[in-house]
Amino acid sequence: MAEDKKPEAPAAAAPKPPPPPGPPAPPPPKNPGLVTAVVDGREVVVKPGTTVIEAAQGMGIDIPYYCWHKRLSVAANCRQCLVEMSNAPGGKLVPSCQVPLTEGVVVKTDTPRVKDQQRANLELLLLNHPVDCSICDQAGECKLQDYYMQFDAQPSRLDIPKNTKGKRIELGPTVTLDQERCILCTRCVRFMREVAKNPQLGVANRGTRSVITTFPGQPLDDRYAGNVVDLCPVGALTATDFRFRGRVWFMSSARSLCTGCARGCNVALDYLDTTAYRLRPRENADVNQEWMCDQGRTTYKALNAGRVLAARLGRGAAAARATRDEALKAAGLALAEARRAGGVAVLLSPVASLEDLLAACHVAKEGLGAAEVFVGGRPDGWQDDFLKKADENPNRKGLELAAQAYGLAVRPFADLVAAARAGRVGALWVVGAEVPDAAGAEALAALPVLVVQAVNEGPLAAAATALLPASPHAEGDGTFVNFEGRAQRFEAAWHPRGEARPHLALAGALGRALGLKVPWGTARETWLALSPRLAGVALWDFKWDSLPSVGRRKGHLPLAAGTVDGRLAGQKERLPPEGSEPAKRGVAPTSW
Amino acid sequence: MPYQLDNRPADLREQMYFPEIIRGIGAVTAHFLRNLFFTRDANPDILDRPRGLGKSDNVTIFYPEEKAPYPPGYRGLHRLVPRGDGLPRCVACYMCATACPAQCIYIEAGEYPGDPVEKYPVKFVIDELRCVVCGFCVEACPKDAIRMDTGEHAPPSYERDVQQLHEQALLRGPSVDYAGDPWLKRAAPSIPADKLAAMKAAATPYPADATDEYAQTPGFSVKALAAEARARSERGGR
Repeated sequence: MAEDKKPEAPAAAAPKPPPPPGPPAPPPPKNPGLVTAVVDGREVVVKPGTTVIEAAQGMGIDIPYYCWHKRLSVAANCRQCLVEMSNAPGGKLVPSCQVPLTEGVVVKTDTPRVKDQQRANLELLLLNHPVDCSICDQAGECKLQDYYMQFDAQPSRLDIPKNTKGKRIELGPTVTLDQERCILCTRCVRFMREVAKNPQLGVANRGTRSVITTFPGQPLDDRYAGNVVDLCPVGALTATDFRFRGRVWFMSSARSLCTGCARGCNVALDYLDTTAYRLRPRENADVNQEWMCDQGRTTYKALNAGRVLAARLGRGAAAARATRDEALKAAGLALAEARRAGGVAVLLSPVASLEDLLAACHVAKEGLGAAEVFVGGRPDGWQDDFLKKADENPNRKGLELAAQAYGLAVRPFADLVAAARAGRVGALWVVGAEVPDAAGAEALAALPVLVVQAVNEGPLAAAATALLPASPHAEGDGTFVNFEGRAQRFEAAWHPRGEARPHLALAGALGRALGLKVPWGTARETWLALSPRLAGVALWDFKWDSLPSVGRRKGHLPLAAGTVDGRLAGQKERLPPEGSEPAKRGVAPTSW
Repeated sequence: MPYQLDNRPADLREQMYFPEIIRGIGAVTAHFLRNLFFTRDANPDILDRPRGLGKSDNVTIFYPEEKAPYPPGYRGLHRLVPRGDGLPRCVACYMCATACPAQCIYIEAGEYPGDPVEKYPVKFVIDELRCVVCGFCVEACPKDAIRMDTGEHAPPSYERDVQQLHEQALLRGPSVDYAGDPWLKRAAPSIPADKLAAMKAAATPYPADATDEYAQTPGFSVKALAAEARARSERGGR
């Protein structure tokens, strides 16, 4: 490059000829600084750089698309979103996901030409598609199905055998690929490249032989790989974990939060009756955009398996199943006794919700006279610079806030273990039995009075003298405060299983046994009664009722009225189960 | 058998009253004697029985030894259709359970490790007591895997459990294969080569006309049905 010299300008520059007459200058913009255009006969004013599809969506016009994604780069390769634009070269249809609106342009999205293009493009995409919807897990939430019914609805005209590609390819531990169903929109490739920053997926071969694949011999083992399943508009990428477990049109979704770490990713908890089937990330631009990690996706399993569903009194050989009321009564007596004898230590779990912890702190302070609470919770895990935090408890900040509201000192779990080993702890009340280390739990297992409210079986639950079955977050409303102090509501999915009840209800019952007036029943009442104590805390613009949690949920009812267990999806799961006390009274419970 | 009564005034014989009484008693006696002394024909298809002298008119069917045949469209007990190698055609897609207005079908899906179909019903239970025999499950099935062509009605029983048919009891009857079925196209490792060849030979071929409406449903062709109907009408048959 250094040798290259710019040619010297001629010494005597001739006067420039006038420029050839070009097209007339465009008229000045209607709204300076903005772009004004016409979409389907309506004028729209947008910021420069807004693509046609975004503008149309803002106007409530649905342009079909497969490959476009708000948070990924634009590929414009599915050709489903082509529209007519007045400035298109040669009058061609242009991809609305890629072309920005410009001043004065006229866009038409519903002309016969566009409609025919949409139909023809769907025919192309479906030409070699195996149409194995009966096997495919995406059935019911598949854009091929939706758009076929909406735009095409024609029988196949293919009268030669279809292309065959790989089926049931295990890309990695979490994702299964079916190359025949793939429409090569490359959303997954772009996600791995741009969001996960780990380009493990790519397109191999050419033409009709193109397939999505990993590098030879390398698995898709990124910790965010599960998101490509949600991204995939068709059934090509399916979750190995969810494979063939259930059909999505039977399920309902509750707006929930991931309990895997302190980030508090917004998730949709898909459930049927009282079984959770999967977690899908929900959009929240401030927290997780719309992604979540694979470890968080597995947290639903604790809601189904290894649950404590019945109360138990006594430990070891003397353990006997008891009704919840008996166990609460015995536990209340034991705690009152221990309080007279010398004091009760309180172990709180940062997995419980803010309302649960407020109720527990209220009982600890007013009922047991505690001056400090110990923090249990899960041990730390891995951390990265994207979503996952090392702290694997969803509500540590909320625990600190609740303790601060009642003026209780927060002490680590190790202090409790040390005190127990030194014999300074006579009785322990555990709200949420998650413990950071099992060795410490052994030291607590010998305590003469150990009242445990546990969601899942574990070392503390096994050693409890009074075991009370508690509900996880899916079985009640509540709030988690994530690591940055953002309070987020989650909503009840189903009525508590078995004998389980929310921590706040159990704590309230124990408080009554200790002679307290308990001014709460439900989570909402707990918040209304106890949140004034949080007065000094800035929970930003948090409003408890921001997530309406009662009554019918938005969303369409399934067309078919049948479900596997004889219930309408999303209709009755939140009614109490048959045989329970509230069901006998014929009402959903308003308090416990 | 309705017949036309012509509304005319009584003629002389009818006005005399007794000859008609005697004629009526004669007709009754003839039937009585014929049914008393001649044997009942045991053909359960009553309309096909020979009639006339020497034949009883008694139409009683001695159920259950004799059973009247059901018409061809009769919706009998369900069955899960087996494929040529004896496995169910069903892929546990839940369409029948979704369509069932009585919600009497319970399915649990599982995965075949080696079969190209990938999915099969680990559990498939039909509660025949709940079933309202509407046939929606057969209509909804995209794989022709459930049929009600057995011609049997639900057997009476003293226990409710007997009426809950599980996949072992449901999987029976003649097997069905279509040329487009994955286990024929992709040769499942569980099917030996000679068996596969036999299944392919016996399979219902691809519909000849791929642009037919409903061409997605293997073996079903509106045009073929129309041609059959035309041929029937030309033959002058029913």
